[in-house]
Amino acid sequence: MEDLILELKEGIIDVLNLEGMTPADIDENAPLFGEGLGLDSIDALELIVLMDKNYGIKLANAEQGKEIFKSVRVMAEYIQANRTK
Amino acid sequence: MGSIVVTGMGIISALGAGKESTLRMLMAGERAIAPIRHLQTRHKDLPVGEVPYSDEELRALIGFPDDRIITRTSLLGRVALREAIEDAHLTDTADGKRIAFISGNTVGGMEKSERYYHDFRTNEEHKEYIAMHDCGACTDLIAEEYAGKFSLITTISTACSSAANAIILGADLIRSGQVDMAVVGGTECLSAFHLNGFNTLMILDPQPCRPFDADRHGLNLGEGAAYLVIERAESACERNIKPLCVLSGYGNACDAYHQTATSPNGEGPFLAMRQALEQSGLQPSDIDYINAHGTGTGNNDECEGIAMMRIFGDTVPPVSSTKSYTGHTTSAAGGVESVISILALQHQFIPANIGFQNAIDKHNFRPVDHVLQPAGLQHVLTNSFGFGGNDSSCIFSIPENAAPVVPFPETSPCYIQSVAQISIQQPLCDDWFDMPVPHTQPYNESNDPDYKNHFPPMVARRLGKLLKRAIVTAKQALGETIPEAIITGTGLGCIENTEKFLVSMLENGEEYLQPTYFMQSTHNTISSQVALQLQCHGYNCTYSHRGTSFDSGLLDALTQIRHGRIRNALVGGQEEMTPAYFEMLGKIGYWRNGDISPDALRASDRQGSFSGSCSLNMLLTNQRDGNTLCAIHDMRMLYQPSDEEMRNILQEMLNRAGITLSDVDAVVMGISGDNDNDLVYKDFHQKFCPNIPIVWYKHLFGESFCASAFGLYAGAVCLHRGRIPNHLLYHPAPEIQNPHNILVFNHFKNKDQALTLLSK
Repeated sequence: MEDLILELKEGIIDVLNLEGMTPADIDENAPLFGEGLGLDSIDALELIVLMDKNYGIKLANAEQGKEIFKSVRVMAEYIQANRTK
Repeated sequence: MGSIVVTGMGIISALGAGKESTLRMLMAGERAIAPIRHLQTRHKDLPVGEVPYSDEELRALIGFPDDRIITRTSLLGRVALREAIEDAHLTDTADGKRIAFISGNTVGGMEKSERYYHDFRTNEEHKEYIAMHDCGACTDLIAEEYAGKFSLITTISTACSSAANAIILGADLIRSGQVDMAVVGGTECLSAFHLNGFNTLMILDPQPCRPFDADRHGLNLGEGAAYLVIERAESACERNIKPLCVLSGYGNACDAYHQTATSPNGEGPFLAMRQALEQSGLQPSDIDYINAHGTGTGNNDECEGIAMMRIFGDTVPPVSSTKSYTGHTTSAAGGVESVISILALQHQFIPANIGFQNAIDKHNFRPVDHVLQPAGLQHVLTNSFGFGGNDSSCIFSIPENAAPVVPFPETSPCYIQSVAQISIQQPLCDDWFDMPVPHTQPYNESNDPDYKNHFPPMVARRLGKLLKRAIVTAKQALGETIPEAIITGTGLGCIENTEKFLVSMLENGEEYLQPTYFMQSTHNTISSQVALQLQCHGYNCTYSHRGTSFDSGLLDALTQIRHGRIRNALVGGQEEMTPAYFEMLGKIGYWRNGDISPDALRASDRQGSFSGSCSLNMLLTNQRDGNTLCAIHDMRMLYQPSDEEMRNILQEMLNRAGITLSDVDAVVMGISGDNDNDLVYKDFHQKFCPNIPIVWYKHLFGESFCASAFGLYAGAVCLHRGRIPNHLLYHPAPEIQNPHNILVFNHFKNKDQALTLLSK
């Protein structure tokens, strides 16, 4: 799980173009949206693409992301349980 | 001055070709949303509003020659344009009229580019399509059939409100007396690029769309084209043509909230509708039907409804979204839905909002769920909103009930107050005037400032290079001023991110595409991002018409300032280049290889010039102060003028300024080292101003679709500094002291031309 969390943080930094950030700067238990990292609805779409591309998880609509993207840890748990690649 | 009337229209969409077919389907309540037949894509599961003709069938429909190539967007445009022109009897009753053709589109020839991109990059096949990729090329290909009829052509690219803004510009040009008539609207065909782009935003409904329904699930992409012929009522009367309806009001505002979402209280839509109502002199209660933007997405329909409730209170008039019939025809939507609104007025019916069952919680109205035939439909309002919050509304009225259009007041002067640029010269300053940077290679990146000083990381990460340049130059040009209008010219838009999206789509088989790149592919991203950063809700427009993109924006700003509509405007020219696009354009002879020293460029003996990135913003105002650079006396855009017309226009300009040709100190021209291009300039010089020194600027700033912005800038700085340095003189000569009047001439392929007179 910890490896997946690290991998996920690196992926997030890459696809969201969070220049100058390192995995250590992201608290895996902090909210990704609103407070915490301060991501927005476009980032949510980018994370949906990331889940599809790297883990073979397809979401039917953007609303589903709200629960999954609560924190990096929640996201990692969801990926662990649902990944197809 | 009386009303602006509509005297002809033409349409093609999923409902078929022509007004008759459209009307029949509308009245029958039959939607044309169906599985994909013609578009090449893997997403065949997504329903669309596809025009029921293949390219070959469209060609046959209008007799387009077999031996010529053309894009589908231009074919659709040609079908609609021909119907509009015939409907308005333009070919036989409009001799001597000055007629503008203003067409909107967003992805230009993308449907062919995506198909042949591999060839563009690797071999010589299909390379003719490279020159058809941009939005302006698309308009040019449509206009060609009636080229002799038009005196001015331009292209608007404000995403899904493009056609509505074309109507607005046309009306403004007529009201200001610059043209007598205008053919206005837009065109767009389906492309895998567009389909995938909307898909990354997760706003495509896998079922036929249900606008304004509580359970709506997104939009269906459509395609089509539609044009209106508009003119003053007197002009129609002279031609003995009975108007179809009156354009009684229009509004353009910017939501300045988000790149792809409308603000929760629908500020932009509210402002656009309110402006249209104010201009028409009508009360909200006079509106009998609203043809809504109503895409079917969760965000649009909720916010548009809220904006309507802010305007109309508890009594929102009957509403329907005819996208439930046609799908979302994007750039053409403002034209398609204007034609539908006018058909509703003519035939006294309200088209249905198909698929509606339950109202949205926050709404106090239910859209019309079946075709109605009420009596006494008099005024119809139609909305068109685009990405970036480019929101526009138009009101059409039956001719008998027209409120007179408020004429434009007396003219105000217009000044260039400040300019900021990022190019290959030193950025954000005028150092090039005394210390020009020489160039050594045909492809150059801009000399960018450090953007870390300008944007926090969370903002910067979403902005492509061109957006950063545009925002930084905008802020510097504006200083403390809040602009009343933001207008951008860009031939290619954010081509770097457009290319990233396209390449990723082709390489990954239409999977794993990033929405951030798609969002930046629309040309109006630049103007709308500037508005977003500055929180400006005023007029916002984007022109994408090849080498006269900037000039088109300048014409719009100047028209509005001179006629007192606004007091100031930010006008920009924004262009970037990528190595791949540079190579492709090289294939069709745009760029030279090797020596680009001024002497080599002067020789004009080879094809091609060198490429410059171009980012420039200028603040225009109606009042001068100590910092003002110069006055813009006059500006005209022309399409293939005869020598006699050009001579007359130049004379008119000089007369209005109270000067003669001998008072003009220099003529600024875009000589670039490309033989074909330069011959046109030399010909102009010889014919119209043979003894006036030539100022050139592309040897400093390079060639791009918006390079002409730098011509105006160079002229303005010379007037302000009181001298023309010898490095700006095309024919080597000592510098010119104390210039008072400078003429700026720009052309693209000897078709579109722009003439501007600057004075100290």
